Amino acid sequence: MNKPSFLLAAMLSSIFSAQAQQVGSAEQWQFGAVLDATSTSRALELGTRDKGLQLGHSDLTASGPLGRHLQAQISAVVATHEGKLEKSFEEAWLETRTLPLGLSARIGRFASQIGYLNQQHPHADDFVERPLLYRAFLGSHWNDDGLRLNLTLPTKFYWMVGAEAFRGHKLVAHADPAVSGAGAFTVATKIGGDLNRSHSWQVGLSYLKNRRIAALEEDHEEHMDHEHEEDEHEHSHAHGAQFGGKQMWLIDGTWKWAPDGNNQNQQVRLTVEAARVTGINRFATSGQKHEALSLSAVWRFQPAWEVGARFDRLRVAIPHEDHFHAGRLNEQALMLAWKPSHRQSLRLQLSRQHGAVGFEQAARRSVALQYVLAFGAHGAHTY
Amino acid sequence: MPILIKMRTSILGVTFFGMLLAISNSQAQTIFACEPEWAALTRVLLPQARLHVATHARQDPHHIEARPALIAQLRAADAAICTGASLESGWLPTLQQRAGNPRVQNGAPGLFFTASTVKLMDARPGAGGNPFAGDIHEEGNPHLHADPRRLLEVARAWNQRLQELFPAQQAAIAQRYEVFQTQWQARILLWEKRAAPLQGAKVAAQHGSFAYLWNWLGMQQIADLEPKPGLAPTPGHLQQLLEQLRTKPPAAIVITSYQDARAARWLSQQLENRALLLQLPATVNDPETPDALGRWFEQLIDALSTR
Repeated sequence: MNKPSFLLAAMLSSIFSAQAQQVGSAEQWQFGAVLDATSTSRALELGTRDKGLQLGHSDLTASGPLGRHLQAQISAVVATHEGKLEKSFEEAWLETRTLPLGLSARIGRFASQIGYLNQQHPHADDFVERPLLYRAFLGSHWNDDGLRLNLTLPTKFYWMVGAEAFRGHKLVAHADPAVSGAGAFTVATKIGGDLNRSHSWQVGLSYLKNRRIAALEEDHEEHMDHEHEEDEHEHSHAHGAQFGGKQMWLIDGTWKWAPDGNNQNQQVRLTVEAARVTGINRFATSGQKHEALSLSAVWRFQPAWEVGARFDRLRVAIPHEDHFHAGRLNEQALMLAWKPSHRQSLRLQLSRQHGAVGFEQAARRSVALQYVLAFGAHGAHTY
Repeated sequence: MPILIKMRTSILGVTFFGMLLAISNSQAQTIFACEPEWAALTRVLLPQARLHVATHARQDPHHIEARPALIAQLRAADAAICTGASLESGWLPTLQQRAGNPRVQNGAPGLFFTASTVKLMDARPGAGGNPFAGDIHEEGNPHLHADPRRLLEVARAWNQRLQELFPAQQAAIAQRYEVFQTQWQARILLWEKRAAPLQGAKVAAQHGSFAYLWNWLGMQQIADLEPKPGLAPTPGHLQQLLEQLRTKPPAAIVITSYQDARAARWLSQQLENRALLLQLPATVNDPETPDALGRWFEQLIDALSTR
C-alpha cells in the first residue's frame, strides 16, 4: 500500500502544476466519474453482485499528462459488497509516452493486459458480470501493483508483445502468504488487423506464472490450525481468485463487423476466451487442471439498442487434502441494452447457471437490471 | 581494359545512385490523417507522402473503434494530422497509447490539430460535464473543414508545420502551398458567386456536420433532427419538428452519408416532399484523387442548388 500511496501523492501534486502549464494547449487533465447501480434478483455463483439493489463498480478518474514524457491516471472505486461500502484505488499509474522503438513502460497499480477483457473497465462491459473465467481465475478483474514493458512492432498489421511483474496478492483466495518481491509474472502478445472496411479482428495469447500458489502450499502446512478461522474470515469478502494454479494460459479472439466500419448504426462483436490453469497444488498431477471457456456475441441493431448472449463453461479440480473433486459450472446470459448516448446505458440481463457440480450456490435463474451513468470526461475506449 | 573498368565503375555508380533513389523513396514521409479531408490537404502539400487515412466519408468520425489496424498505422507515422476539439477523443488517445510512437504524442511537433489553428463556431466552455446534454464539444463545433476559408487557414498552418518537420522539402512545400492558396482563393469567390441564390435559405439537418457550410453560404439551419448533439433522432423529437416545420417547411433536409436516412425520410414524407431530402458526404469521398477537396465543395453546392 505504501508504494501506491506515495505515487498517488506525487501524482496529485504534479497534476496541478501540469494543469497550469497546459492551459491553452490541446492537452489537459481530464476528470470523470461513473456510477453503476444494479439490482439483482439472485446472486450468481462466483458472482460479484449481491442480491438486491447495489452500487456496482463506480469510479472517479483523473488522467492526463505529466510533462511531455509521461501520462498518468488515478482511479478510485467504490462498490457495495455484502452490505458494506468498499473503497479502493483501482488504478494509480505512470506510463512513458516517448520511449523509442515502439516501447512503452508503466509503473504503479493497473489492470494486467492478459486476456481480452481484463484491461477494460467493468462499466464498459456488455454483461452485468464478467465471464466465469475471470470470476474463477482472476478475481473478476485483476488489477495489481507492478511494472509493465510493452513493445509494438513496426509491422503492417498490429503486433504487440509485453511483459508484466506484479505483487500477485489478488491471485490467491486465502491468507496472503509471504512472498518477497513480485509474486506474479505475465507475458502477452496481441496481433490484429482489418480484413476489409467492415471486418476487423484481434487475437491474443497470454501466460501467467504465479509464485504465490507454491508459497501458499508451504504456509498451509505450517499453519494448519489457523487455516479454518482465516478461511472463514477470507470467505466473507473474498475478492481474490477462487481457483488458482502456478501457471495459466489464456487465448482470446475478437472479431467485429460494422457496415463500412460505421459502428454507430449497426455492429456485431464476437469474443471468445479460453484459459487453462495447471499446477493447482503439490498433489496435482498433470491431469489436474482448471479450464474455462467464454463465448459472447453482441449485436447493435439500432443506434441505441444492443442485444447479446454469452455462454460460459467452467471445469475445475477442487483440492481436498491430497486429492481432488471435479467441479463444473455452466452459465448462460442474455442481455438487452438501451444506450441513448455513450454516457448512459440501461441493461436487462437474464442469467442461468446449470450443470453445477461442487458449486452449491448456483443460481438456476437470475435477473439483473443495471444502470450506468458517466459524468465528465470518459476515457477513450480500447478495441 | 581501362574502358572496362570505367564502364564497371559507371555501372556501379548507376546502381549506387539507384539504391540511393530507392532509399529516399522508401523514406517518403508517412502521414496519418484522422479524417479524409486532412489526407486530401496533405496530398496537395506533400504529394509523394505515404498516407494512412483512419476514417472515410461513410463513417461517423466521433465513433471509431481503436482498431488494431489503426494502431499499426499510427505506429508507422512520421506525423499525424487530426481535427482535435474532442472529435477523436473516443479513439485517438488509445491509438497513441498503444502505438508507442513518440513522434505523434500530444505535445510532439509531429501531431497537428487543425482545430487549434482556426476560431471555432459555437464554443461552449463548461457545458460538457452534464451527461444528459448529449455530446457537447466545449471547444466548439469540430466540423470546420466545411468552410473553405477556414480550410485555407489550416492549409497555411499545416504547410508551415510540414516545412518544419521535413526541412529537406521546405521549398517544394512552400511552393505547392502558394499555388494552392492562389487557386483556392479564386475558387472561393467563384463558389460564393454560384451559391449566392442560396443566401438566406433555411435547412433542417442532422447534427452540426455542415454548420460551417451554412455559415459560409449565409444559409440557416432552423432544425436539428438530433434531440441533443450526438444522439440519434427519436420519434418524439421528430414529431415535435414536424409540428414546427409543417407550416413553413425548410428548403432541404440534409443528412450525411454515414447517418441512417430513415428519420430524415420520414420527416420529408410527412412534409409531403416539400423539403428536398439530401444525403451528402460530410467529407471528401476519395482523398487520394486529385482535387478531392475542390470537387467535394462543388458537389455540395451543386446538390444544394438543385431545386
